Amino acid sequence: MNLAQVRRTGPRLQRGHGSLRRLGAAQGGGLWVALILLSFYFSWTTGSFFTRSNLLVVLEQVSVLGMVAVPGAMLLVSGNLDLSVGSVAGLAAAAFGEFDKIFGWPMWLAFLGAIAVGAAWGTMNGVLVCYLGFSPVIVTLGGYAGAAGLAQTITSDTTRSGFGHLFDQLGNGTLAGMPVPGVIFIVVFLAGAYVWYETRTGRHLIAIGANREAANALGVSTRRLPCVVYILSGTAAALGGLIITAQLDGASVQIGVGLELQVLTAILLGGVAFTGGRGSLWGTLAGILFIGVLDDGLILVNVGPYVADLAVGAALVVAAALDVGYQRLERRPAPEPEPVEGEAAEPARSEEQEQRTGA
Amino acid sequence: MSGQRHVPQRGSRALDVTGIVKRYGPVVALRGVSLGLDYGDVLGLVGDNGAGKSTLISVISGITRPDSGEVRVDGKLWDHAGARSTREAGIETVFQNLALVPTLSIAENMYLGREPYGPGGIAAALRRIDKRRMRREVEQAFGRLGLQMPPVTSKAGSLSGGQRQAVAVARAVLWGSRVVIMDEPAAALGVQQTEAVLGLIARLKAEGIATMLVSHNMDHVLRVADRVAVLRLGRKVADLDLRRQPVTATDLVGLITGAVPGAA
Repeated sequence: MNLAQVRRTGPRLQRGHGSLRRLGAAQGGGLWVALILLSFYFSWTTGSFFTRSNLLVVLEQVSVLGMVAVPGAMLLVSGNLDLSVGSVAGLAAAAFGEFDKIFGWPMWLAFLGAIAVGAAWGTMNGVLVCYLGFSPVIVTLGGYAGAAGLAQTITSDTTRSGFGHLFDQLGNGTLAGMPVPGVIFIVVFLAGAYVWYETRTGRHLIAIGANREAANALGVSTRRLPCVVYILSGTAAALGGLIITAQLDGASVQIGVGLELQVLTAILLGGVAFTGGRGSLWGTLAGILFIGVLDDGLILVNVGPYVADLAVGAALVVAAALDVGYQRLERRPAPEPEPVEGEAAEPARSEEQEQRTGA
Repeated sequence: MSGQRHVPQRGSRALDVTGIVKRYGPVVALRGVSLGLDYGDVLGLVGDNGAGKSTLISVISGITRPDSGEVRVDGKLWDHAGARSTREAGIETVFQNLALVPTLSIAENMYLGREPYGPGGIAAALRRIDKRRMRREVEQAFGRLGLQMPPVTSKAGSLSGGQRQAVAVARAVLWGSRVVIMDEPAAALGVQQTEAVLGLIARLKAEGIATMLVSHNMDHVLRVADRVAVLRLGRKVADLDLRRQPVTATDLVGLITGAVPGAA
């Protein structure tokens, strides 16, 4: 391509590229738009969607999913995955019931013990995956089966209940007019957003997921950092399991069943790439709320829970399609300042133009 | 960029590599390689594919631990504590694969692994990174180096091959305060951009930085290097001082292929 051609094609490509940018912004915020449309749809059909009490129900319904999805999104963006969260939630609930009722520990100690069980399981996942190089899918799939089996073994499939008023507050209490689980979720999310957007950790997790070798060569701790997030994931799962235990006042091994799928769906809907390296926590929030609104709205319009599962499944396939779109957009160059006249700028520009026309 | 820069003492020894051996299973990549590099010198490192150049760079960069042998920086034993401490000591490498993260911006790539905290003490205590300062200083740095680049908030994945290479080279030039190692830094570059990279090497030399240039292009090596080391099958077969003896590209090719037996 000679310089005359570059000058001719330059401005046209510049314009085309501007519209691509706008398309990118639209798709990036697409889930938020879909979420708002869905909310208005349910508001229109039921008339009771935008009520304070219903919105608080949505917040409470998504809180466990949400607090587990925050470390979950960090894992996925770094090229990791935790499929064991649902079973770990059930195991923590079971352990809490045994600690409190069989061992006779005080409630607070049983609570901390159950959290420690989740953290320990997360540590095991982290060490096996990050330090020994095992596949995250296989290790945490093993945890998915193993933690559930362990929960059933230690409880002999018995549900313990009657944990008292204070523990009940964890699941059913209110704080500042909001359900306690919702407050915990908001705190976890804000802390996660700070880590994701304002600290080194967020950038380093993305770097590990996008180009692990480069991250390692530049001195990013490619082992320790994801390992810590695995521990946080196990801890969040345990906390979620205990919240559900408090809501039910029963430490059932059924707690957490299917949680891993919901978490993964929310994260993928929110635009985190399954292969890692790209994603946003705000997108994940949209994914979390989308699932919550869908579940809640479909109950309001009185269709069965299976339809909700079907809708979430369909949304996940749409997310896969969006993922392809995001990848294409990512390869587009960012907007450039006004075209620079003069010889110095031309070689770089011509090379870039070739790349663009070739893409 | 900012921060305290080591001030190199021209002519004193920056890097001493002694008797490095590295095996990968049955393959011996390095069979006892020794090299010395002074501040303000440019060392060309040449050799055919598989001669051990990349392994040697990986050892010096702190990524690969050698089976035996030692690396000394400023005469002090370097304990291979990893890539991070190597970079903190002012040793920077431009890797052949460039080590860029496509989903992070140019500024974030330039600062990856050493993001500054701030502004102010509270933000620093909360480990908040100073994004504005990163952008500003990368823009200033590109200006100083005379590089024409897209906005520093552009994602690295959206850059052309040449621009990516420019980011990787600029990162090493700006952070390397003792030793800068460049592995094929001009591989994806056009004629003018290649000249710019060779100009940056001259600039590093003028600042007293010790530079190592790995390249298959003998003309580039002979133009900018003060010395040339030739690796062949994991051994250093020649170490030529271009200031004392005339060397041609043909001489180097002969040493690389083994047609001319090595002396060193």
